[in-house]
Amino acid sequence: MDPALAGNLIDLCAVAMLLLSMLAMTTTRMGQLLNAFAAQSLFLAALAFVVGDVTGHSRIWTIGAITLAVKVVLIPRFLKYTSDRIHVGRDIDSTMGIPGSLLISAVLIIVAYIVAEPLVATLETITRNCLAMSMSVILIGLFMMVTRRKAMTEAIGLLMMENGLFLGVMSLSYGMPLVVELGIFFDVLMAAVIIGIFAQRISKTFDSIDTSVLRRLRE
Amino acid sequence: MSLEIELILLMPVAGALASLLSPGRIAALATSAASALALLFAAAACAGPLLDGPAIEYGPWYADGLSAVFLLLTCIVCLASSVYSYGYISEDRREGAVGHRDERRYYVMLNLFSAAMMAVCVVGSMGIMWIAIEVTTLISAFLVGFYKREADVEASWKYLMICSVGITLGLMGIVLMYASSAHILGESPDALEWPVLYGAAAGLDPTLMKMAFAFVIIGFGTKMGLVPMHTWLPDAHSQSPTPVSAMLSAALLNCALYAILRFLMITEIAVPGFASTILICFGALSLAAAGAFILISRDFKRMLAYSSIEHMGIIAIGFGIGSPLAVFGALIHVMAHSLTKPLMFFSAGNVIQGYGTRNMDEIRGLRKSMPFTAFMAAAGAAALGGMPPFSVFVGEATVIWGAVDSGMHALAAAMAVLLVLVFAGLTRSVLGMMRGDPGREVREPGGASRASAMAALLAATLALGLFMPDWLGDALRSIAEWFSGGAR
Repeated sequence: MDPALAGNLIDLCAVAMLLLSMLAMTTTRMGQLLNAFAAQSLFLAALAFVVGDVTGHSRIWTIGAITLAVKVVLIPRFLKYTSDRIHVGRDIDSTMGIPGSLLISAVLIIVAYIVAEPLVATLETITRNCLAMSMSVILIGLFMMVTRRKAMTEAIGLLMMENGLFLGVMSLSYGMPLVVELGIFFDVLMAAVIIGIFAQRISKTFDSIDTSVLRRLRE
Repeated sequence: MSLEIELILLMPVAGALASLLSPGRIAALATSAASALALLFAAAACAGPLLDGPAIEYGPWYADGLSAVFLLLTCIVCLASSVYSYGYISEDRREGAVGHRDERRYYVMLNLFSAAMMAVCVVGSMGIMWIAIEVTTLISAFLVGFYKREADVEASWKYLMICSVGITLGLMGIVLMYASSAHILGESPDALEWPVLYGAAAGLDPTLMKMAFAFVIIGFGTKMGLVPMHTWLPDAHSQSPTPVSAMLSAALLNCALYAILRFLMITEIAVPGFASTILICFGALSLAAAGAFILISRDFKRMLAYSSIEHMGIIAIGFGIGSPLAVFGALIHVMAHSLTKPLMFFSAGNVIQGYGTRNMDEIRGLRKSMPFTAFMAAAGAAALGGMPPFSVFVGEATVIWGAVDSGMHALAAAMAVLLVLVFAGLTRSVLGMMRGDPGREVREPGGASRASAMAALLAATLALGLFMPDWLGDALRSIAEWFSGGAR
C-alpha cells in the first residue's frame, strides 16, 4: 500500500474512533451506545489491518482479527443480550447535560494533545499521530464512567477506554508481544462477561440498574 | 527442564478442581491441603534465590529474592485464610447464610484467587504480570460480593469498576515503557521481560519512562490502595467474607506493590529520583488520610481496611526513600503486615459472627463472652499498632530510622506523630470492646481450625519481631542492597 494513502487511512480511522466517543457522550439510548462501541471497535480493527499491511507484521493482522471477533461481535452481542434481560430504560442517565458533557470532552481532547505532544516527538512509528487521539478516547471513556449512572453505560465507558488504550498500543509500538496481547484480549472479554453478570445482579438485588442506588457504604 | 514454579501454581488449581467435584466439607480440606502444599513447594523453590543463590529463570517464569519474599508471604496468607475458612464458612452454613452450592463455589474461587496472586509474583514478563493482576480482580469480585446482600453487590461493583479503570491506566504505563525500550531492544518478544528491561534500563527513553511511571503509579496504586485512589478498598474489605478480607489486605495489596516495585527499580535507573519522590508523596498522603479515618471509623472491618492503607503508605515511603536501611525496613514491614493483618481480620470475623454486628459501639464485654478471641484481638491490635516487641514495630522503626538517616527529618517526625495517633485510635477502639457486659448471650465461635490459624499468625509476628533468624536478615539485607542500586 502507498505509505501516504496508509497514513491518511490511519488518521481517518483514529479520527472516526474519537468522533464515535463524542457520539457516545451524546446518546442516552442503550442500543445506540452499543452500536457506537461496536463501530469504534470496527475502526480499531481496520486501523490494525492497515498498519499490518504497511509494516508487514503478521501478528498485527492477528490482533485486528481478534479485535473484530471479540470487540465487534462477541462483546456487543453479549451486552445487548444482558441489557435486554434487565430492561435498561431509555431515560437520560447522565448526571450532566449533553452540551456540558461535550464541552468537557473538548477540554479533555485539548489536554490529551498537550500531554501527548512531547511523547510524539520521541516516536518513529507511522501511527504516532494517533497517540493524542488515543489519550482523548481514554479520557472521554473515563469521563463517561464518572458521569453515567447506569451500570451498563459505565461498562461501555470502560470498554471505550480500553479501545483508546489499544489505539495507544498501535501508535506507540505497533502492538506488544503476541502472547501478551492475546492475554489482554482474553481479560477484556472476561471483564465484559463478569461486568454483565454483576449488572444483572444489581438489577436483581435493587430492582434497578441505576448505580446511584449504590450509596450505602460510607463513613 | 525444571518444573518447580509450575508445581507451586498447580496446587491451588488442583485445589479448585477438587473443590468443584467434592462436597463442601471436603472442599474445605482440599483447599487447605492445596495451599499447604503450595507453601511447601514455594519454600523449596525459593530457598535458592532467597539465600543468595541465582534467580530462577526459565520459560515465562522469573523469581529472584524479591519475588521469593512476596511469593512466600502470599502462600502463607492463603494457607492461613484457607484454614480459617473451614471454621468460618461452616458456621455461616449452620446459620443458613450460605447454601451448599455457595460453599463449593467459595472454595473454587478462593483457590483460583490464590493461584492468580501467586502467579503475579513469579512471572517474568510485565505484560503477563498485568494479566495476572487483572485476573485477581475479576475472580475476587465474586468473593467480595459473595453474600449477595445489597451492600455486597455495591461493594463488588465499586471494586470491579474502580480497579478495572486503574488497571487499564496501568496497562498504558506498561505500553509506554515498552515503547521507551523500542529503540534499544527493538520489537523483540522479550522486550517486556523484567530482567531484559532491567539490564537495559540505563538506555530507556527518559520522557516516555516518566510518563510510564505516572500511569503505573496511578494504575497499580489504585489496586495497592494508595490515597486518593483507595475508595474501593474500605468497602471491599468490609463487605467480603472475613478470610477473603484477610487475603485482600495481606496478599492482594502486596501483589500490586510488587508490580510497582518492579517498575520502580527500572525507572530509578532510567530517571533517577523521579519515581521515588512520587512514591514518597503518595505514601505520606495515604498514611495521613488513613490515620484520620482509623480515628473516626466505627465499623471494625472498615477500621482494619484503613489500617491496611496506612501500612501500605509506610511501605511506600520505605521503598521510596530507597536507601538500603529504609528498604530493609520496608521489607520487614511488608512481612509484618502480612502476618499481623490476617490475625486481626480473623479476630474481627469471630467477633462479628458472634455478635452479629460490625459496629464497635454495639460490641461490649468481649473479655467475658469470648476470652480467646479477646486475647487475640488485644494482642493483634497491639502488634498492628506497632507496639514492641512485635514485628510491625521493627518495620516501622527501621523505616523511620531510614528516613532520618537519609536526612528526611520532617518526614520521619510526621510519620512518628501519625503512627502514635494510629496506635491510640486502634487500641482505644479495640480495647473499648473488651470492657462491660455483652448484654446478651454470645457464644465464642469454636473450632480448632480458627484457633490454630490465629495462634500460628500471632506466634509468627512475635517471632519475626523478637528473633529474626540470621539467614532471613542476611537475605533481606542483600535484597535491600541490590534494590538500592548495589550489585547482587
